[in-house]
Amino acid sequence: MTRSVGYLSVALTLACFLFTPQASANDVDVVLQNENEAAKVELQPTPVVDDLTYLRRASVDLIGRIPTGEEIRQYMSWPASERRAKLVDKLIVDDRFADRWTAFMGDMLRLRSNATGGAALTAYVHQAIQENMPYDELCRRLLAANGKANSTPEVGFILGDDANPTAMAAVTAQVFMGVRIACAECHDHPFDVWTREDFYSLAAFFGKTRRVESQITRVVYTTEANESTVMWPPEDDSEATERSPMKPRFPFEISDNKEPLEFVKRLIDLRNKQELARKAAAKKTADVVINDLLTSAEDKVVQQTNGETDELGVKKEAKSTIRSIDIQGDLYRQSELRAQLAEMVTSPRNRFFSRSMVNRVWKELVGQGFVEPIDDFRADNPPSHPETLDFLAEEFVATGYDFRNLVKMIVTSDAYSRSHVAPDADEATRVDLESNFMATPMRRMLGEALYDSIVSAGHLFEYKHLPGTNERVVRERVRVRVLEEGEKPKVADLLTVGGNTAAGGPAMMMKGRPMQGGGYALENAIELDFASLLKKKKGGVQVEQMEIMSAEELEAQRMAMMAKTQGGPNAKYVTKIVERVYDDNPKFNSTFRMASPAPQGHFVRVFGQTSRTDLGDMRGDAPNMRQALMMLNGRLTNEAARVGPLEKVHTMLSGPKVDLETAIKVVYYEILTRAPTAEEIVDGTEIIDAAATPLDGMADLRWVMLNCNEFRFIP
Amino acid sequence: MSKSCLDYKLTRRSLLAAGGASILGLSVSDLLALEGTSHEAKAKNIILFWNGGGMSHIDTWDPKPGRPTQGDFSPISTSVTGMQISEIFPKLSKQMHHAALIRSIAGTQGAHGRATYNLQTSYLPSGNLRHPGVGSVVVHERPKTSELPAYVSISGQAPQASYLGQKCEAYYVSSPGAKDPYLAFPEGITEIRGNKRLEVLAKYNKRFAGPSTDQRLGASETSITEAVKLMRSPALEAFELEKVPQTTLDRYGDTTFGRGALLAKRLVDEGVRFVQVNRGGFDTHSGNFPAMTNHGEIMDPALASLIEDLHESGKLESTMVVMMSEFGRTPKINDNAGRDHWPSVFSCFMAGGGIKGGTVIGSSDEDGAHPKDRPVKVPELHASICHAMGIDPNKEVMTPLQRPMKLVDNGEPVKELFS
Repeated sequence: MTRSVGYLSVALTLACFLFTPQASANDVDVVLQNENEAAKVELQPTPVVDDLTYLRRASVDLIGRIPTGEEIRQYMSWPASERRAKLVDKLIVDDRFADRWTAFMGDMLRLRSNATGGAALTAYVHQAIQENMPYDELCRRLLAANGKANSTPEVGFILGDDANPTAMAAVTAQVFMGVRIACAECHDHPFDVWTREDFYSLAAFFGKTRRVESQITRVVYTTEANESTVMWPPEDDSEATERSPMKPRFPFEISDNKEPLEFVKRLIDLRNKQELARKAAAKKTADVVINDLLTSAEDKVVQQTNGETDELGVKKEAKSTIRSIDIQGDLYRQSELRAQLAEMVTSPRNRFFSRSMVNRVWKELVGQGFVEPIDDFRADNPPSHPETLDFLAEEFVATGYDFRNLVKMIVTSDAYSRSHVAPDADEATRVDLESNFMATPMRRMLGEALYDSIVSAGHLFEYKHLPGTNERVVRERVRVRVLEEGEKPKVADLLTVGGNTAAGGPAMMMKGRPMQGGGYALENAIELDFASLLKKKKGGVQVEQMEIMSAEELEAQRMAMMAKTQGGPNAKYVTKIVERVYDDNPKFNSTFRMASPAPQGHFVRVFGQTSRTDLGDMRGDAPNMRQALMMLNGRLTNEAARVGPLEKVHTMLSGPKVDLETAIKVVYYEILTRAPTAEEIVDGTEIIDAAATPLDGMADLRWVMLNCNEFRFIP
Repeated sequence: MSKSCLDYKLTRRSLLAAGGASILGLSVSDLLALEGTSHEAKAKNIILFWNGGGMSHIDTWDPKPGRPTQGDFSPISTSVTGMQISEIFPKLSKQMHHAALIRSIAGTQGAHGRATYNLQTSYLPSGNLRHPGVGSVVVHERPKTSELPAYVSISGQAPQASYLGQKCEAYYVSSPGAKDPYLAFPEGITEIRGNKRLEVLAKYNKRFAGPSTDQRLGASETSITEAVKLMRSPALEAFELEKVPQTTLDRYGDTTFGRGALLAKRLVDEGVRFVQVNRGGFDTHSGNFPAMTNHGEIMDPALASLIEDLHESGKLESTMVVMMSEFGRTPKINDNAGRDHWPSVFSCFMAGGGIKGGTVIGSSDEDGAHPKDRPVKVPELHASICHAMGIDPNKEVMTPLQRPMKLVDNGEPVKELFS
């Protein structure tokens, strides 16, 4: 990937000659404080949290899991004055940062691994976050690309809505600009200024784009036709003869090009420098045409000042480049209209674009948006703190739509770092403080973060038992297709009937294995590890080779098959009771790296991940009975609680040097990121003493700690 | 796109009216419900059999004797004079006086995915909004009457609740008789130890909350209380088919489907509102007839025994049994002795819950290719189910986008179904 070199080297080069001062986090707090004072908010903000609480909060928010014992030690070893800054700098470049924020982008962009081109798109977005691709560039690429599903990963974005113009109009407005224009598809917006005409003129940008599916190869791609399918007036309002293609028009206000805006000037300066740096770096590379084209905003901004752009802000050169590409590859003709649209959406003068993203990220981190719901910007739903929002939005633009920097600006602010209101505060005070960002609301971890935190706290990312020491036999009902004569067994012919066994339920389903090569594998299938299942277990019950699968694999299999209706009509199945021996020494993977959305009923779905089909579908954070059942009785929590001999606490609980107090302290740090109180040490000791063995007792204690509210709410 | 986003002229006015009325504590849906019809609803529970793949209508509910489309099966008489069904249902034929057949469902979708969506939600798939399945609609509108979950899906997933919320998602049973591991302490954790853990957990949570009355903490506690209540509920026994005498199992046919029907009945007995029993294998592009013989052998004893048992226990009046599929199959028998997708006309089986027994609604033409009279649209089928449950199909709920959506996509109940 030629671009990837680009961002990093440009960033490095830039560091040397960046003169424009960047706003520090404290500036956010100053703006916010002024705004609150002007509004006569006479409340005392809560103090900022202590160092360990900050560590836990920032780790969960930035890398999607609680800190490990080792991370706590490292953090506390840094000088107190530098701790938090160092931590944030470390977390935003952590590998897990991209994983965790892909979930954020995944919700926002409705990334679906199983949609056409969705797997590649998800991987692409993950990579964009990892390489800190400027947000405006990402958006342009998603809106403008045509090509083949999966080979051109960006095209997965419009394919997610079948490249349907009206769906894409709604998506463009709501996802990237926080404007709910979808209602205007059928009628003028009941609460807002948008008319049907606005809606259809926005849809018209997508009017020439076609989704094509080859009947032979089933390959799906998008291309441009000459005719638009978006007609006006709409079908329900007119005769066919009166209708004609709708003229594309961008219905949102973009501030006047002539108006001097400081942050736009800063962006231009920055991009000019980036451009110089890139040109220096890319001299040797010849094949940058398409990349240059799609990253043309930089050039555009440069040229705007020289008056070289047309009324739509699209470089003439870019247009001619598009045409030359068309001649070469007529199959995937690029969309001029959508390139124009993308330019306008991402224009630094389109305030909706930057405000919308800032509002989303602020909400994700601070718990409440300036505008709520976060994608409902309209005149009669004004932001609670317009100046703070604009301050951040302008900084976001001026720093080149630097996503990581935006996150950093927010998490290093006092507004982010404040504690929750005191438990005895009354409701009205709490709401006042929280809505003025003078206290942080309690938030539950994302489902993925909760899962990963349990895995981490229970040392389940690695093996914690010795191989072979936990062999167990399970009986399971499986449904096996009767093979035709001479047919070789295929894994896909196997379905479980019994599904959930003691050995694994939905909590174990379909965990994506860590991918090779540091990225998502660009494929739709669930990765299964068959290596272990082919290993013969000595002394185990002999079963047919194809039946030796772990419950986890069977479950994944069953989930994969569920999408299809069971078997062909004439397939014959027999149900068998199978005994399997397996080594109960589980290792779990990060839920941030599994196919998303997870199957219905999966842990992360039960804990709020949506199906990502509906536009504007937000994660719910209400607890429910199913969540409780999974946490109380699930395999994950119980395995995490169980003490393995490879864990450090093991030696403190068995053997010659039993040291309960230290063991309790260790698990408190590992699970709750804090030291236990004297009372908690007494309680913990009591729990351990009451159990059959100290190991059992510690499992009980850890189970309670993993299940308690303190664990799942971000401090 | 969906037509359910209300007609502009109507909407704008009613929304404005609702805006004013909401001050008085009335929501839009309350307001519009005022216009809804009310009647004495007989059905309290629903058992929906979902036959995935597209079940042949001609080989089941709508035989075409003497026509080239007839295929291998002959019609047989039933307990209703003049009503004939396929010979693959010998036992069920004696229960048809409890049942109604709609032989004129006029579908529009010929691809599995879209048709399934349509039949399960009443809506057509539309861009970026997912509609909830009928089971979610029912449990959204009717109160919970059991310690067990209100909505259970057996042998496969039910459609999602979408904008009706997590509370309206089906509780999923992978196969009838399968033990849900989440309803008991994990293996190796005794009752005593598990209960002790719960006790300590409650103490820790209490200490954490302190004097806080924050409802977010409270809700978390409630979910645990509900979970423990379910874990300890005697009603859970309904899931345990191993305690059912073998003779009963045999009457239902000791198959996954038969056990599914039996489990559905046991759940309904415990007050579960909506049970969906899923089964596939109806996509008979080749070898249609042996496949349908096999399906008959599996479905016949289960359905017949279910209806018989519900009737004998007096529960049939309040329990509606529905069997549907995403479409029918071609009248023409193809070169592989199979039938292909056919949405233009197909049938639906319904019994109980106020359904007038022995009724046939509509008919298809002589070859079973198109509706001949009383075509029934998919939303009308859904509206009928709602009607039976006393739910106004035109009631509106709000999507996350604040788009008002009707529970059913503009359908009126098929009144002739009801006594």
